[in-house]
Amino acid sequence: MNWMIFSPEICCLVTALVFLFLAMAPTDARRDYIVAVALTGLAVCISLAGLYAAGELFHGTYRVDLFSQVFKSLLLMGLFLVVFISSGLSGIEHRYHPEYYMLLSICTLAMMMLVSAVHILTLYVALELSSYSLYILVFLRKGRDQGVASGMKFFLIGASASATMLLGLALLYGATNAAYFRVMVEVIPGVIHQPEVILGLALSLSGFLFKMAVFPFHFWAPDVYEGAAHQVAAYISTASKVAVIAVLLRMVALSGGESTHLVHFLAVLAIISMTVGNLTAIAQKDLKRLLAFSSIAHAGYVLVGILCISPEGNVSAMFYAVTVLLLKFTCFLVVIQTAFDGENIDIDRLAGLHRRSPIMALALMTALFGLAGIPPTIGFTGKLLIFVAAMEKGYFALVLIAMFNVVISLYYYLLVVRAAYLLDPPEGAGPLPAMPGAKILAGTLVAAIVILGIYPTPLLDLIQAAATALG
Amino acid sequence: MHTELAEFPFLSAILTSCLVGLLVIMVLPGHRTREIKWVSAGFSGVTLILSVYLFAAYDQDLGGFQFVERMAWIPRLGISYYNGADGFSLPMLLLTGIVFFTGVLTMWELEHRVKEFFALVFLLVTGVFGMFMALDLFFIFVWFDVSLFPMYLLIAVWGSTRKEYAAMKLTLYLLAGSALILPAIVYLVVQAGMGTFDLVALSAEGTLGPGVQKFAFLLLYIGFGILAGVWPFHTWSPVGHVAAPTAVSMIHAGVLMKIGAFGVLRVGMFLCPEGWQFWAPLMALLATVGIVYGAFVGLSQTDLKYCIGYSSVSHMGIVGLGLATMTADGINGAVFQMFAHGVMTALFFSSVGYIYDRTHTKIIAELGGLGRVMPVATTYFIIAALTGIGVPCLASFWAELLVFISSFKVYPVYGILAVSGLVVSALFMLRVVQRTCYGPKNEKFAHLTDVSFTLGIPRMILVSVIVLFGLFPSLMLDVIRTATIPFLHRLP
Repeated sequence: MNWMIFSPEICCLVTALVFLFLAMAPTDARRDYIVAVALTGLAVCISLAGLYAAGELFHGTYRVDLFSQVFKSLLLMGLFLVVFISSGLSGIEHRYHPEYYMLLSICTLAMMMLVSAVHILTLYVALELSSYSLYILVFLRKGRDQGVASGMKFFLIGASASATMLLGLALLYGATNAAYFRVMVEVIPGVIHQPEVILGLALSLSGFLFKMAVFPFHFWAPDVYEGAAHQVAAYISTASKVAVIAVLLRMVALSGGESTHLVHFLAVLAIISMTVGNLTAIAQKDLKRLLAFSSIAHAGYVLVGILCISPEGNVSAMFYAVTVLLLKFTCFLVVIQTAFDGENIDIDRLAGLHRRSPIMALALMTALFGLAGIPPTIGFTGKLLIFVAAMEKGYFALVLIAMFNVVISLYYYLLVVRAAYLLDPPEGAGPLPAMPGAKILAGTLVAAIVILGIYPTPLLDLIQAAATALG
Repeated sequence: MHTELAEFPFLSAILTSCLVGLLVIMVLPGHRTREIKWVSAGFSGVTLILSVYLFAAYDQDLGGFQFVERMAWIPRLGISYYNGADGFSLPMLLLTGIVFFTGVLTMWELEHRVKEFFALVFLLVTGVFGMFMALDLFFIFVWFDVSLFPMYLLIAVWGSTRKEYAAMKLTLYLLAGSALILPAIVYLVVQAGMGTFDLVALSAEGTLGPGVQKFAFLLLYIGFGILAGVWPFHTWSPVGHVAAPTAVSMIHAGVLMKIGAFGVLRVGMFLCPEGWQFWAPLMALLATVGIVYGAFVGLSQTDLKYCIGYSSVSHMGIVGLGLATMTADGINGAVFQMFAHGVMTALFFSSVGYIYDRTHTKIIAELGGLGRVMPVATTYFIIAALTGIGVPCLASFWAELLVFISSFKVYPVYGILAVSGLVVSALFMLRVVQRTCYGPKNEKFAHLTDVSFTLGIPRMILVSVIVLFGLFPSLMLDVIRTATIPFLHRLP
């Protein structure tokens, strides 16, 4: 067996083990932070070096190809970024810091396995592993009540969703007698019109739709975002979304585009997610809740790309995964910088941000305009790709509805920009206490958002090649 | 996809000078306001010189798109960086150059958050220039949006009179417009099935079916029409004009609204001639209602800026009417009107801005007798008002004349209504002038100073342009014609 192609996962596993041992040693937050940054940075480098690795492991249940490697690199980048902004980590007690890094690493490992899984059991186990790590991460929030309440909600809904998914997978297995995706993809299009197959596919998708916070599986998102520590919320809204997009692409591709029922089902979910997410976000005062509802809306946009079940649709959804990662992370960077004490922040607390930290205000504005899909940001290019893919399939109404949702979303994004740029800072509020490297990171993110928006070709070429591996 | 570059990329040079100016402003420390203003004036001056050069160097005998630059951008989607200028875009580029430069000079006295103000203005104008020169649908949309969103901050931070409300309303309205434009553009590209966003290639005969054209044109017309202030989608415009600071009002009413009309022309009419033909009666109706409505509502306004805002709705209606006639004169007049109205409104807003800065009021009843205190400032104001009325020897006279002649031929009823609307418009303009500038000297304003020579420079430039093109309309019309004639040949 070629273990080299497993090296990004091994690196992540080693990181988790290191923190398992560090958890037994006396607490030293500084040491933990430096070790975590170094190890996750190394993991990113290793994953990038092994981008073009290919092969199969564990009796063909685990496939390594460009598709999975691109997503693994994205996941590790997400992990690295979240770890990088954990230097303050005031939302989690000092003594739990090693556990925090360990769980993040395990969760990322599980998600990496998720994107490589091509067998329903590997898929299920990987999903559960990632979910349980996330539940515990939410519980770690300092000032227990909030963390426990939202963690419990997350856990209960999550467990039900995964049970439902298991039922769906069982139905699929029963109908097709296949557990390997490569077999299923051949069998399912032929039997897709059987009710148990369509039901099985819909139920098994529900587990991932839950993870992505698509309507009607979205109820956990605002509470969990609000209840989790900022860094954990950042991780949930970025890295975990990336993994789910990858798996959803694989799962929906199983139908071979033969079922109009499935497409209609997903289209309805996409429309409701976009609309509910955006309309509810307008009423939010808490910035993290607002970002949660915006995530629900964005899940709807991604679903439009996924339900095209075409090479263009796949490319657009993958590109959108990068978009979400960059834009949402930038927003959370600003949240963490503004709420240095680890407490939740109202939108009003951003007042005068442009004076307290011009670069953070700029980063926030760029990211929000990106989320609203305004050119020349990466958010616009992502939406354009999705719209082109959907239009090629003839889904004009879907595109129009998505565009009007973009306008609705702009309203609440502008309210946040308004707070940052138009309101005066409160009396006596000085410059924000800067985390080391935060300004450079913010500048880099702004540059990345704009440059990838203006010139997405290299990234698109890579994603195109990766999507070919999927098909 | 081939790469094609003009000997010297003049069009990109305009964009580059805007972007370099933006970067220099961003790098300069915020307290160096004097340097920031000089840098802004310098770079906007360069764009003015370049746009004048382009206008003069355009080969009228050759016609078509000139100064073409082309480079593959996102080959996967058939998107290229493709610029060119023809008889329709050259007047708009010249207009943008003029209004941008004079707008920067008008804001010379700004003290509040100077760096951010000029940075945003540069960003906005980059979008405007880009939109006027782009020949790729992707870039047209990108530049269109880039020119819209700085407006939110420009109005919300530096504006007055319910500024946050106005900024939000304006942004949401205009983005609702772009919510129609983007699906329409993607729809056209996908329906053509050529895998390209190239406007010229897509406009080839037989590429798009009549049904597709009719549907897409309607979306594009409403989408761009919102920005052009087409009735009934105009409600953002007077509110936005009133709230915006002087230079932004100048750029906004002077240039930004033209992007809307230009979008209808360049994207809608260019790609969907059959759609244009089908919807032209509706366009004419809405335009006429806009002309009459703008004039009557303007008549009852008490705020100076609202008066000009509603007169803009009325004047942009003339553009719409001209485009709806589908005749050479009508289109020439419409494009000329876009230019003339741009310069005139810029002069109008710069004059009102000066009056407001000094007197701290825009309410007509509180003004009066200004002519005795600020003779120079009021002269500029009166010239702008006369241009608005369409007095001969001033630029808009020719534009309006051409539009009305052709509308009498094609839509006689609308033509008569529009002219009567214009009479009302003239009435209210004269009334505004009479109430603000004439009458006994107002002691409250006796101590105020008149426009200094330096502050007068931008206004002098605008007046000269109005008079120049008023006396020699062929300077402009000859250029526009080079685009109109081949354009009309494409009509089925």
